[in-house]
Amino acid sequence: MKSILCIMLSIISLKVVAQEDLDKMIKLEGPKNEKVTATFKSGNLINLKTTETIHRNEMDFRVDHRFGDIGGSAGGAKNFFGLDNSTDIRIGFDYGLTDNINIGIARAKGATEVRQLYEGNIKYRFAEQTIDNSVPVSIAFFGSTVVSAMEATEEKHSAASFERFSDRLSYVTQLIIARKFSSSFSLTVVPSYLHRNYTAYNDQNNMFAIGIGGRAKVSKRIAFVADYFLPFRQSSKKKYREEVTGQRYYNALGVGLEMDTGGHIFHLNFTNATAIQESQFISETNSSWGKGQFRWGFNIARRFNFNKKEKG
Amino acid sequence: MNKIHIYSILLLLLGSKATFAQQTNSLVSKAASISFFSSAPLEDIEAKSSLAGSALNIKTGEIIFRVKITSFQFDKKLMQEHFNENYMESDKYPLSEFKGKIEECEKLAKDGTYKLNVSGTLQIHGVGKSYSTAATFNVKNGAIKAIAAFDVRLADHKISIPSIVGKKIAEVVKVKIEAAYN
Repeated sequence: MKSILCIMLSIISLKVVAQEDLDKMIKLEGPKNEKVTATFKSGNLINLKTTETIHRNEMDFRVDHRFGDIGGSAGGAKNFFGLDNSTDIRIGFDYGLTDNINIGIARAKGATEVRQLYEGNIKYRFAEQTIDNSVPVSIAFFGSTVVSAMEATEEKHSAASFERFSDRLSYVTQLIIARKFSSSFSLTVVPSYLHRNYTAYNDQNNMFAIGIGGRAKVSKRIAFVADYFLPFRQSSKKKYREEVTGQRYYNALGVGLEMDTGGHIFHLNFTNATAIQESQFISETNSSWGKGQFRWGFNIARRFNFNKKEKG
Repeated sequence: MNKIHIYSILLLLLGSKATFAQQTNSLVSKAASISFFSSAPLEDIEAKSSLAGSALNIKTGEIIFRVKITSFQFDKKLMQEHFNENYMESDKYPLSEFKGKIEECEKLAKDGTYKLNVSGTLQIHGVGKSYSTAATFNVKNGAIKAIAAFDVRLADHKISIPSIVGKKIAEVVKVKIEAAYN
């Protein structure tokens, strides 16, 4: 009896194995250490740099614009809610030396006493988050040097009363750490160090700051973006500067919408920062959201590809 | 009692041997390649994956293809990013798969070159659609090489192209498949 059962069982097992699913015979080898892509869609959020770089032989042309105050004493209907003015305009070109190293040049109007800014910068992404989490975050280094081409002012206490060429220079160093938590949500933290060779009287030459930013996808092509910068100031100097100028320092906060049209990335944002460049908005944002001193801003970025198409 | 056990083990072994012989009906292709080509007024787009997997059974005519969407390589990396992020949504639909049947599959048992119809369901972007195409099979010493080409209409798989890039991406994409089974 038992032996019959055994025979029957083995026949059944034979049949099952013979009809083995072709499905199981396919073992897909995915690309190894696959990298997470599109943590952010562009090299900038609003005021913040992201870990994104452009690829080798690509060029990114971007225009940033900040209008005047929407509300407050300088805003309102008389200047069409800030649209009559521009506090800062920046035009920049970035180029991909490799997929992870970008160099750039830019010209900005400048929004503090120091104007006519020329910037040279480098971004190097040296770690990329992987899908298997063996590398949990992407990390990039950003460094920029800004030189002011304006005529030195006579006003002795001004940040623009340059005496030597070196007085015109300021430097920004950032470590950008980012993680894409899901297909629709990414977060970044940006410890920053700012050095200005020359400042207004009794202002800080060196300043640490920390930036945080995030991107949340609303739909396939539209995302909500926000960023915030917290500078660490010496309280005595801050107090002195605020008394002398009669203006308070605020932290830069930006919120906006990012639209991806395929090739173009378009940002529409609101921020209290008047300046676009890190060397200025981190240290000298004197406008407050609470007083209606925030503004429309937009960034348009267009990528060009100089890679020759390989036939094959 | 012991005898019965030994007997059943022997039988099982025999059975497994038999299935091993049976399995030669199924052939696997580890590195099949799938490429596609889109020709639009403003831009030609080409991408290829050599990491696709395929298996076929010459007895039943069953054939399966499977490919990871992220394994497609483009000349322009920005395109590759857009392909995964905006069009294929590869985080939601990581795989594309074809499951079908080869007609007159019994021909594949003998050496020679045959043009046979293959029909089945192709899943792209999470949407399945029936396809039928003629594929060329070349059989030599039990190894099979297969080539097939067919058109995929993006709208059939709910892949939407915004009008702003409509002149850069064709509505119908040509797909080419090559696989070597042994």
